[in-house]
Amino acid sequence: MPGIDECLLEAMRLPGARGAALVDWTSGLALGAVGEAPGGDHETTAAEAAELARMAAEHGTFAAGGDDLPPVEDVIISNGDSYHLLRFVDTSFDSSVFLHLWLGREEGNLALARIRLGEMAARLVLG
Amino acid sequence: MTVVGTPPPALPVRDKGAGRALSPMLTRLAEERATGVLVREHGVLHLAEGRVVHAESPLAPGLDVLLTAHGTLAATAWQQAAARTTGPLLAAELLLRSGVLPTGALELCHLDALYDAGYFALAPSSTPGRFRYDSTPRLGPLPSVPVVALERETLRRRLLLHRLWPDPAADTAPLIRADPAAGRAPANPAGPTTPATQAASATPVTPRQRAVLDRVDGVRTATDIARNLGRQAFHTLVDVRRLTAAGQIAPLPTAPSAPPPPPPLGQVTTDPDIALLKRLRDALEAL
Repeated sequence: MPGIDECLLEAMRLPGARGAALVDWTSGLALGAVGEAPGGDHETTAAEAAELARMAAEHGTFAAGGDDLPPVEDVIISNGDSYHLLRFVDTSFDSSVFLHLWLGREEGNLALARIRLGEMAARLVLG
Repeated sequence: MTVVGTPPPALPVRDKGAGRALSPMLTRLAEERATGVLVREHGVLHLAEGRVVHAESPLAPGLDVLLTAHGTLAATAWQQAAARTTGPLLAAELLLRSGVLPTGALELCHLDALYDAGYFALAPSSTPGRFRYDSTPRLGPLPSVPVVALERETLRRRLLLHRLWPDPAADTAPLIRADPAAGRAPANPAGPTTPATQAASATPVTPRQRAVLDRVDGVRTATDIARNLGRQAFHTLVDVRRLTAAGQIAPLPTAPSAPPPPPPLGQVTTDPDIALLKRLRDALEAL
Protein backbone atom coordinates (compact mmCIF):
# COMPACT_ATOMS: atom_id res chain seq x y z
CA MET A 1 0.00 0.00 0.00
CA PRO A 2 1.46 3.35 -0.96
CA GLY A 3 2.27 6.10 1.49
CA ILE A 4 2.21 9.80 0.70
CA ASP A 5 5.71 9.88 -0.83
CA GLU A 6 5.12 6.80 -3.00
CA CYS A 7 1.87 8.30 -4.23
CA LEU A 8 3.59 11.56 -5.21
CA LEU A 9 6.47 9.72 -6.89
CA GLU A 10 3.97 7.67 -8.84
CA ALA A 11 2.29 10.87 -10.00
CA MET A 12 5.68 12.13 -11.14
CA ARG A 13 5.96 9.17 -13.52
CA LEU A 14 3.07 10.51 -15.59
CA PRO A 15 4.23 11.97 -18.93
CA GLY A 16 5.08 15.65 -18.58
CA ALA A 17 4.87 15.72 -14.77
CA ARG A 18 6.86 18.65 -13.35
CA GLY A 19 5.82 18.56 -9.72
CA ALA A 20 3.31 17.02 -7.34
CA ALA A 21 2.13 17.76 -3.83
CA LEU A 22 -0.42 16.69 -1.25
CA VAL A 23 -1.97 19.84 0.21
CA ASP A 24 -4.43 20.63 2.99
CA TRP A 25 -6.83 23.22 1.64
CA THR A 26 -7.95 24.58 4.99
CA SER A 27 -4.49 25.48 6.22
CA GLY A 28 -2.58 25.67 2.92
CA LEU A 29 0.05 23.25 4.23
CA ALA A 30 1.90 20.92 1.86
CA LEU A 31 1.98 17.54 3.62
CA GLY A 32 4.32 16.26 0.94
CA ALA A 33 5.87 17.63 -2.23
CA VAL A 34 8.17 16.29 -4.95
CA GLY A 35 9.64 17.68 -8.15
CA GLU A 36 9.49 21.32 -9.16
CA ALA A 37 7.06 24.03 -8.14
CA PRO A 38 6.09 27.06 -10.23
CA GLY A 39 8.38 29.83 -9.03
CA GLY A 40 10.51 27.25 -7.27
CA ASP A 41 8.63 27.33 -3.98
CA HIS A 42 6.37 24.46 -2.92
CA GLU A 43 5.06 26.39 0.11
CA THR A 44 3.80 29.32 -1.93
CA THR A 45 2.39 26.97 -4.53
CA ALA A 46 0.57 24.98 -1.85
CA ALA A 47 -0.95 28.09 -0.27
CA GLU A 48 -2.15 29.41 -3.61
CA ALA A 49 -3.46 26.07 -4.85
CA ALA A 50 -5.24 25.61 -1.49
CA GLU A 51 -7.00 28.93 -2.02
CA LEU A 52 -8.32 27.74 -5.38
CA ALA A 53 -9.33 24.33 -4.03
CA ARG A 54 -11.15 25.86 -1.08
CA MET A 55 -13.17 28.16 -3.33
CA ALA A 56 -14.18 25.20 -5.49
CA ALA A 57 -15.01 22.99 -2.51
CA GLU A 58 -17.02 25.58 -0.61
CA HIS A 59 -19.16 27.11 -3.31
CA GLY A 60 -22.38 25.21 -3.87
CA THR A 61 -22.34 26.09 -7.55
CA PHE A 62 -19.65 23.51 -8.22
CA ALA A 63 -20.93 20.76 -5.92
CA ALA A 64 -22.31 17.44 -7.10
CA GLY A 65 -26.00 16.86 -6.47
CA GLY A 66 -25.99 13.83 -4.21
CA ASP A 67 -25.35 14.14 -0.49
CA ASP A 68 -23.15 11.06 -0.49
CA LEU A 69 -20.88 12.39 -3.20
CA PRO A 70 -17.82 14.49 -2.45
CA PRO A 71 -18.62 18.04 -3.53
CA VAL A 72 -15.89 18.34 -6.13
CA GLU A 73 -13.56 15.81 -7.80
CA ASP A 74 -11.08 17.88 -9.75
CA VAL A 75 -10.10 21.44 -10.51
CA ILE A 76 -8.26 21.90 -13.80
CA ILE A 77 -6.33 24.97 -14.83
CA SER A 78 -4.63 25.27 -18.17
CA ASN A 79 -2.25 27.96 -19.29
CA GLY A 80 0.01 28.50 -22.27
CA ASP A 81 2.65 26.02 -21.22
CA SER A 82 1.23 23.81 -18.50
CA TYR A 83 -1.73 22.22 -16.77
CA HIS A 84 -2.54 22.18 -13.09
CA LEU A 85 -4.67 19.29 -11.93
CA LEU A 86 -6.10 19.36 -8.41
CA ARG A 87 -7.69 16.10 -7.29
CA PHE A 88 -9.65 16.07 -4.03
CA VAL A 89 -8.90 13.09 -1.82
CA ASP A 90 -12.06 11.58 -0.39
CA THR A 91 -11.13 10.20 3.03
CA SER A 92 -13.26 8.23 5.45
CA PHE A 93 -11.92 10.45 8.26
CA ASP A 94 -12.40 14.20 8.40
CA SER A 95 -9.82 15.98 6.27
CA SER A 96 -9.50 18.57 3.53
CA VAL A 97 -6.69 17.45 1.22
CA PHE A 98 -6.08 17.30 -2.48
CA LEU A 99 -3.35 16.10 -4.81
CA HIS A 100 -1.83 18.82 -6.97
CA LEU A 101 -0.11 17.75 -10.18
CA TRP A 102 1.72 20.24 -12.39
CA LEU A 103 2.09 19.01 -15.98
CA GLY A 104 4.03 20.38 -18.91
CA ARG A 105 1.63 21.08 -21.73
CA GLU A 106 3.76 19.67 -24.55
CA GLU A 107 4.29 16.22 -23.05
CA GLY A 108 1.36 16.06 -20.66
CA ASN A 109 -1.85 14.18 -21.39
CA LEU A 110 -4.55 15.83 -19.33
CA ALA A 111 -7.18 13.12 -19.80
CA LEU A 112 -4.80 10.34 -18.84
CA ALA A 113 -3.42 12.30 -15.89
CA ARG A 114 -6.92 13.00 -14.60
CA ILE A 115 -7.82 9.32 -14.60
CA ARG A 116 -4.51 8.22 -13.08
CA LEU A 117 -4.53 10.91 -10.38
CA GLY A 118 -8.04 9.85 -9.38
CA GLU A 119 -6.85 6.27 -9.01
CA MET A 120 -3.83 7.37 -6.98
CA ALA A 121 -6.00 9.50 -4.68
CA ALA A 122 -8.23 6.49 -4.01
CA ARG A 123 -5.31 4.11 -3.43
CA LEU A 124 -3.65 6.59 -1.07
CA VAL A 125 -6.46 6.39 1.46
CA LEU A 126 -8.23 3.15 0.57
CA GLY A 127 -5.19 0.95 0.02
CA MET B 1 -28.36 41.19 -8.16
CA THR B 2 -26.17 38.75 -6.35
CA VAL B 3 -24.96 39.60 -2.91
CA VAL B 4 -21.28 38.97 -2.74
CA GLY B 5 -19.87 38.41 0.70
CA THR B 6 -16.52 39.66 1.77
CA PRO B 7 -14.08 37.10 0.38
CA PRO B 8 -11.93 35.49 3.02
CA PRO B 9 -8.36 36.74 2.96
CA ALA B 10 -5.78 34.79 1.03
CA LEU B 11 -3.88 32.05 2.80
CA PRO B 12 -0.68 33.55 4.08
CA VAL B 13 2.66 32.48 2.75
CA ARG B 14 5.46 32.13 5.21
CA ASP B 15 7.90 34.96 5.37
CA LYS B 16 11.18 33.20 4.89
CA GLY B 17 13.10 36.29 5.92
CA ALA B 18 11.58 36.23 9.35
CA GLY B 19 13.91 34.12 11.41
CA ARG B 20 11.62 34.16 14.39
CA ALA B 21 11.70 31.11 16.57
CA LEU B 22 8.72 30.36 18.75
CA SER B 23 10.79 28.66 21.37
CA PRO B 24 14.53 29.30 21.64
CA MET B 25 14.79 26.10 23.62
CA LEU B 26 13.24 24.15 20.78
CA THR B 27 15.66 25.67 18.28
CA ARG B 28 18.58 24.64 20.45
CA LEU B 29 17.19 21.12 20.85
CA ALA B 30 16.82 20.81 17.09
CA GLU B 31 20.39 22.01 16.56
CA GLU B 32 21.80 19.46 18.96
CA ARG B 33 19.53 16.77 17.43
CA ALA B 34 18.11 16.04 20.85
CA THR B 35 15.89 13.09 21.69
CA GLY B 36 13.32 13.44 24.41
CA VAL B 37 10.06 15.07 25.40
CA LEU B 38 9.34 18.80 25.51
CA VAL B 39 6.48 19.63 27.87
CA ARG B 40 4.89 23.02 27.38
CA GLU B 41 1.82 24.61 28.91
CA HIS B 42 -0.60 23.62 26.14
CA GLY B 43 0.97 20.47 24.77
CA VAL B 44 3.85 18.06 24.44
CA LEU B 45 6.32 17.48 21.60
CA HIS B 46 8.23 14.21 21.25
CA LEU B 47 11.60 14.73 19.55
CA ALA B 48 13.83 12.10 18.01
CA GLU B 49 17.21 13.25 16.72
CA GLY B 50 15.90 16.79 16.60
CA ARG B 51 12.77 15.99 14.61
CA VAL B 52 9.19 16.05 15.87
CA VAL B 53 7.82 12.52 15.74
CA HIS B 54 4.66 13.05 17.77
CA ALA B 55 2.69 15.88 19.37
CA GLU B 56 -0.15 15.91 21.84
CA SER B 57 -2.32 18.67 23.24
CA PRO B 58 -5.45 18.65 25.37
CA LEU B 59 -6.77 21.27 22.94
CA ALA B 60 -6.51 19.04 19.84
CA PRO B 61 -8.18 15.69 19.18
CA GLY B 62 -5.64 12.90 19.05
CA LEU B 63 -5.01 10.46 16.24
CA ASP B 64 -7.38 8.02 17.96
CA VAL B 65 -10.27 10.49 17.77
CA LEU B 66 -9.58 11.41 14.16
CA LEU B 67 -9.43 7.75 13.14
CA THR B 68 -12.39 6.40 15.10
CA ALA B 69 -14.89 9.30 14.93
CA HIS B 70 -16.09 8.42 11.45
CA GLY B 71 -15.46 4.70 11.55
CA THR B 72 -12.16 4.69 9.66
CA LEU B 73 -10.97 2.46 12.45
CA ALA B 74 -13.11 0.60 14.98
CA ALA B 75 -12.69 1.98 18.47
CA THR B 76 -11.93 -1.52 19.73
CA ALA B 77 -9.10 -1.89 17.19
CA TRP B 78 -7.49 1.28 18.53
CA GLN B 79 -7.97 0.18 22.14
CA GLN B 80 -6.34 -3.16 21.42
CA ALA B 81 -3.37 -1.50 19.75
CA ALA B 82 -3.10 1.02 22.58
CA ALA B 83 -3.23 -1.72 25.19
CA ARG B 84 -0.29 -3.51 23.58
CA THR B 85 1.92 -0.42 23.27
CA THR B 86 3.11 2.54 25.30
CA GLY B 87 1.65 5.65 23.78
CA PRO B 88 -0.38 6.67 20.72
CA LEU B 89 2.57 6.87 18.33
CA LEU B 90 3.57 3.27 18.93
CA ALA B 91 -0.07 2.21 18.71
CA ALA B 92 -0.23 3.90 15.31
CA GLU B 93 2.95 2.09 14.23
CA LEU B 94 1.44 -1.20 15.31
CA LEU B 95 -1.66 -0.45 13.22
CA LEU B 96 0.61 0.36 10.29
CA ARG B 97 2.46 -2.95 10.59
CA SER B 98 -0.73 -4.94 11.00
CA GLY B 99 -2.08 -3.43 7.78
CA VAL B 100 -5.56 -2.70 9.11
CA LEU B 101 -5.32 0.81 7.70
CA PRO B 102 -4.00 2.00 4.34
CA THR B 103 -0.52 3.47 4.74
CA GLY B 104 -1.47 6.77 3.12
CA ALA B 105 -4.51 7.24 5.34
CA LEU B 106 -2.51 6.59 8.48
CA GLU B 107 0.37 8.87 7.41
CA LEU B 108 -2.05 11.61 6.51
CA CYS B 109 -3.94 11.35 9.79
CA HIS B 110 -0.69 11.20 11.74
CA LEU B 111 0.64 14.37 10.09
CA ASP B 112 -2.71 16.12 10.55
CA ALA B 113 -2.68 15.29 14.26
CA LEU B 114 1.00 16.25 14.63
CA TYR B 115 0.64 19.71 13.09
CA ASP B 116 -2.65 20.24 14.90
CA ALA B 117 -1.37 19.41 18.38
CA GLY B 118 1.94 21.14 17.57
CA TYR B 119 0.07 24.37 16.88
CA PHE B 120 -1.28 24.39 20.43
CA ALA B 121 1.88 23.05 22.02
CA LEU B 122 3.76 26.02 20.57
CA ALA B 123 1.10 28.56 21.59
CA PRO B 124 2.32 31.41 23.78
CA SER B 125 2.51 30.18 27.33
CA SER B 126 2.78 31.73 30.73
CA THR B 127 5.17 29.10 32.02
CA PRO B 128 8.51 27.99 30.60
CA GLY B 129 8.72 24.67 28.80
CA ARG B 130 10.62 21.74 30.26
CA PHE B 131 12.65 19.26 28.25
CA ARG B 132 13.36 15.77 29.46
CA TYR B 133 16.14 13.90 27.69
CA ASP B 134 14.70 10.48 27.10
CA SER B 135 15.82 7.87 24.63
CA THR B 136 12.29 6.53 24.07
CA PRO B 137 11.21 8.64 21.07
CA ARG B 138 12.75 7.38 17.83
CA LEU B 139 12.37 7.90 14.14
CA GLY B 140 9.85 5.28 13.10
CA PRO B 141 8.01 4.32 9.95
CA LEU B 142 5.53 7.21 10.24
CA PRO B 143 6.67 10.60 8.90
CA SER B 144 8.43 13.04 11.22
CA VAL B 145 8.67 16.79 10.82
CA PRO B 146 11.68 19.09 11.25
CA VAL B 147 11.27 21.41 14.22
CA VAL B 148 11.71 24.42 11.95
CA ALA B 149 8.89 23.24 9.67
CA LEU B 150 6.49 22.87 12.60
CA GLU B 151 7.44 26.29 13.97
CA ARG B 152 7.00 28.01 10.63
CA GLU B 153 3.69 26.30 9.98
CA THR B 154 2.48 27.28 13.45
CA LEU B 155 3.36 30.93 12.80
CA ARG B 156 1.64 30.78 9.43
CA ARG B 157 -1.49 29.32 11.03
CA ARG B 158 -1.53 32.07 13.66
CA LEU B 159 -1.37 34.65 10.90
CA LEU B 160 -4.15 32.91 8.97
CA LEU B 161 -6.48 33.00 11.99
CA HIS B 162 -5.57 36.60 12.72
CA ARG B 163 -6.46 37.62 9.18
CA LEU B 164 -9.82 35.86 9.36
CA TRP B 165 -10.83 37.57 12.59
CA PRO B 166 -8.30 39.24 14.84
CA ASP B 167 -9.93 38.52 18.21
CA PRO B 168 -8.86 35.12 19.60
CA ALA B 169 -11.60 35.09 22.27
CA ALA B 170 -13.72 32.60 20.31
CA ASP B 171 -10.86 30.09 20.21
CA THR B 172 -11.22 29.12 23.85
CA ALA B 173 -14.57 30.39 25.20
CA PRO B 174 -17.88 28.52 25.08
CA LEU B 175 -19.61 29.59 21.89
CA ILE B 176 -23.11 30.97 21.41
CA ARG B 177 -25.20 31.53 18.33
CA ALA B 178 -25.38 35.17 17.40
CA ASP B 179 -28.04 36.84 15.34
CA PRO B 180 -26.30 37.90 12.15
CA ALA B 181 -29.02 40.46 11.49
CA ALA B 182 -28.20 42.15 14.77
CA GLY B 183 -25.23 43.64 13.01
CA ARG B 184 -21.92 42.70 14.39
CA ALA B 185 -18.86 44.59 13.34
CA PRO B 186 -17.86 43.40 9.88
CA ALA B 187 -14.68 41.51 9.23
CA ASN B 188 -12.96 44.76 8.53
CA PRO B 189 -13.18 46.39 11.96
CA ALA B 190 -12.80 49.81 10.39
CA GLY B 191 -15.88 49.29 8.24
CA PRO B 192 -19.15 50.99 9.08
CA THR B 193 -22.34 49.14 9.95
CA THR B 194 -23.91 49.56 6.58
CA PRO B 195 -25.30 47.26 3.91
CA ALA B 196 -21.79 45.83 3.70
CA THR B 197 -22.33 44.35 7.13
CA GLN B 198 -25.55 42.75 6.06
CA ALA B 199 -23.87 41.39 2.96
CA ALA B 200 -21.18 39.84 5.14
CA SER B 201 -23.89 38.34 7.32
CA ALA B 202 -25.56 36.89 4.28
CA THR B 203 -22.38 35.03 3.32
CA PRO B 204 -23.54 31.47 2.84
CA VAL B 205 -22.49 29.03 5.50
CA THR B 206 -20.48 26.21 3.94
CA PRO B 207 -21.35 22.58 4.76
CA ARG B 208 -18.27 22.25 6.96
CA GLN B 209 -19.16 25.45 8.79
CA ARG B 210 -22.76 24.22 9.16
CA ALA B 211 -21.48 21.18 11.05
CA VAL B 212 -19.66 23.51 13.46
CA LEU B 213 -22.60 25.89 13.74
CA ASP B 214 -24.98 23.03 14.57
CA ARG B 215 -22.84 22.15 17.58
CA VAL B 216 -22.68 25.64 19.05
CA ASP B 217 -24.82 25.38 22.18
CA GLY B 218 -23.51 27.89 24.69
CA VAL B 219 -21.44 25.23 26.43
CA ARG B 220 -19.06 23.72 23.88
CA THR B 221 -15.78 25.38 23.02
CA ALA B 222 -14.07 25.08 19.65
CA THR B 223 -11.99 22.21 21.06
CA ASP B 224 -15.14 20.40 22.22
CA ILE B 225 -16.69 20.84 18.79
CA ALA B 226 -13.55 19.56 17.08
CA ARG B 227 -13.57 16.47 19.24
CA ASN B 228 -17.29 15.96 18.68
CA LEU B 229 -16.79 16.19 14.92
CA GLY B 230 -13.60 14.15 14.89
CA ARG B 231 -12.04 17.10 13.13
CA GLN B 232 -8.71 18.84 13.56
CA ALA B 233 -8.93 21.62 16.12
CA PHE B 234 -7.17 24.12 13.85
CA HIS B 235 -9.64 23.40 11.05
CA THR B 236 -12.41 24.06 13.55
CA LEU B 237 -10.78 27.32 14.63
CA VAL B 238 -10.68 28.48 11.00
CA ASP B 239 -14.43 27.98 10.73
CA VAL B 240 -15.06 29.45 14.19
CA ARG B 241 -13.17 32.62 13.30
CA ARG B 242 -14.93 32.88 9.93
CA LEU B 243 -18.34 32.33 11.55
CA THR B 244 -17.45 34.93 14.17
CA ALA B 245 -16.42 37.39 11.48
CA ALA B 246 -19.73 36.72 9.71
CA GLY B 247 -21.62 37.45 12.93
CA GLN B 248 -23.02 33.92 13.15
CA ILE B 249 -21.45 32.99 16.46
CA ALA B 250 -19.78 34.75 19.36
CA PRO B 251 -17.81 33.77 22.44
CA LEU B 252 -19.96 33.54 25.55
CA PRO B 253 -19.39 36.78 27.41
CA THR B 254 -17.60 36.16 30.66
CA ALA B 255 -19.27 37.27 33.87
CA PRO B 256 -18.21 40.81 34.67
CA SER B 257 -15.48 40.73 37.21
CA ALA B 258 -14.35 43.47 39.51
CA PRO B 259 -12.66 46.18 37.48
CA PRO B 260 -8.90 45.95 37.64
CA PRO B 261 -7.28 48.48 39.90
CA PRO B 262 -6.36 51.58 37.97
CA PRO B 263 -2.73 51.66 36.99
CA PRO B 264 -0.58 53.97 39.02
CA LEU B 265 -0.89 57.36 37.46
CA GLY B 266 1.85 58.50 35.21
CA GLN B 267 3.80 55.28 35.40
CA VAL B 268 2.95 53.48 32.19
CA THR B 269 2.34 56.00 29.52
CA THR B 270 5.12 58.44 30.27
CA ASP B 271 7.84 55.88 29.67
CA PRO B 272 8.85 56.76 26.12
CA ASP B 273 9.91 53.19 25.34
CA ILE B 274 6.63 51.70 26.49
CA ALA B 275 4.67 54.35 24.66
CA LEU B 276 6.61 53.63 21.49
CA LEU B 277 6.12 49.90 21.87
CA LYS B 278 2.39 50.40 22.34
CA ARG B 279 2.16 52.57 19.25
CA LEU B 280 4.10 49.94 17.33
CA ARG B 281 1.82 47.21 18.59
CA ASP B 282 -1.30 49.18 17.66
CA ALA B 283 0.12 49.90 14.23
CA LEU B 284 0.99 46.24 13.69
CA GLU B 285 -2.44 45.14 14.81
CA ALA B 286 -4.03 47.60 12.45
CA LEU B 287 -2.22 46.08 9.46
